[in-house]
Amino acid sequence: MIKTSKKGIVTAITLAGVLLLNVSGAMAATAEENYKFYCAQCHGLQGRGDGPNALPSMPVSPRDHTSAPEMNKLTDDDIMNAIADGGPATSKSSLMPPFGKTLSKSEIVALKDHLRKLCNCKGKGK
Amino acid sequence: MKGMKFLKVSVLSVFLASALGLAASAQAGVAEGKKAFETKKCAGCHQAQGPAKEKTIQDQLAKKGPELWYAGSKFQPGFLEGWLKDPKPIRPMEYYSLTKKNTGSHQKLSAQEAADVAAYLMSLKSADVKVAIQPRDNPKGRAIFIKKQSCYGCHEVKVRGNAAGGVTGPSLASAATRLQADWIYAYLSNPKVFKPVKDMPNYDGILTDAELKDLAAYVGSLN
Repeated sequence: MIKTSKKGIVTAITLAGVLLLNVSGAMAATAEENYKFYCAQCHGLQGRGDGPNALPSMPVSPRDHTSAPEMNKLTDDDIMNAIADGGPATSKSSLMPPFGKTLSKSEIVALKDHLRKLCNCKGKGK
Repeated sequence: MKGMKFLKVSVLSVFLASALGLAASAQAGVAEGKKAFETKKCAGCHQAQGPAKEKTIQDQLAKKGPELWYAGSKFQPGFLEGWLKDPKPIRPMEYYSLTKKNTGSHQKLSAQEAADVAAYLMSLKSADVKVAIQPRDNPKGRAIFIKKQSCYGCHEVKVRGNAAGGVTGPSLASAATRLQADWIYAYLSNPKVFKPVKDMPNYDGILTDAELKDLAAYVGSLN
């Protein structure tokens, strides 16, 4: 019979809480929440590349995440590398900033899955 | 001779007037400012007591205005008093909004209230702003801001006298008159203390410490 001590439960709950924290110390959010908070500033709330920072004066336009032809040019790794290390990681503009010290790895994977839902596409090589 | 005497009296009056002026602004009271901050319900939008408590995106989005519990370490002396008398939008968009433009609806204070509230806010210091950074235009900081990290993608700056750049972050067009470079460095290198949940990425660990210092010095010089 497995005995579960009170202390053990408390430790398990604390550990679970710590695991939920992302690198910035904030609680893990859903991919949709993260998208609206971080990505939508440039990519727009619906992902069409039309966020408030997508101004005509900018040297490049943010990618339209709902465009299957555009998003199919990228592998899943391309997407995750761009999120973590910024546009230059995939030879794109530094206007796409690096979120590798802001979001956890699992949040970045979840965001990649969210983008695949937005474009309804599987990506390059699939 | 008469003219000379008149000149002397005039100079004396100007001197006295400015001395009185200085005394008046020196009288701006921290206690009075704290009281005005409370009666005007400023805390409804601005957190005036640290530490930062936000843990989730929802916590941050629930805020209506920037935290002021480290205002004395963040703002340049004199900035808040002037701004409170004549508030102009610092963020092109409403605080953390992606849909509403900032129309500049912040309440305006009388000269005395502005002096008092500014004195109170400037008394709120953060022990985490430690390193002295001299604001200066420098090629490394400029390269990070414009090329390496494209900070202008979210922050407005002045280009040949005109505002240019993104709109979701606070404008940095007059950062030199608003922000202390020491605080910019502290915010970049230790964001968790000041703003644990923010829509700007963390650059600590992406840029080196020397790069963060150059960037803070550069941003602190923007005018």
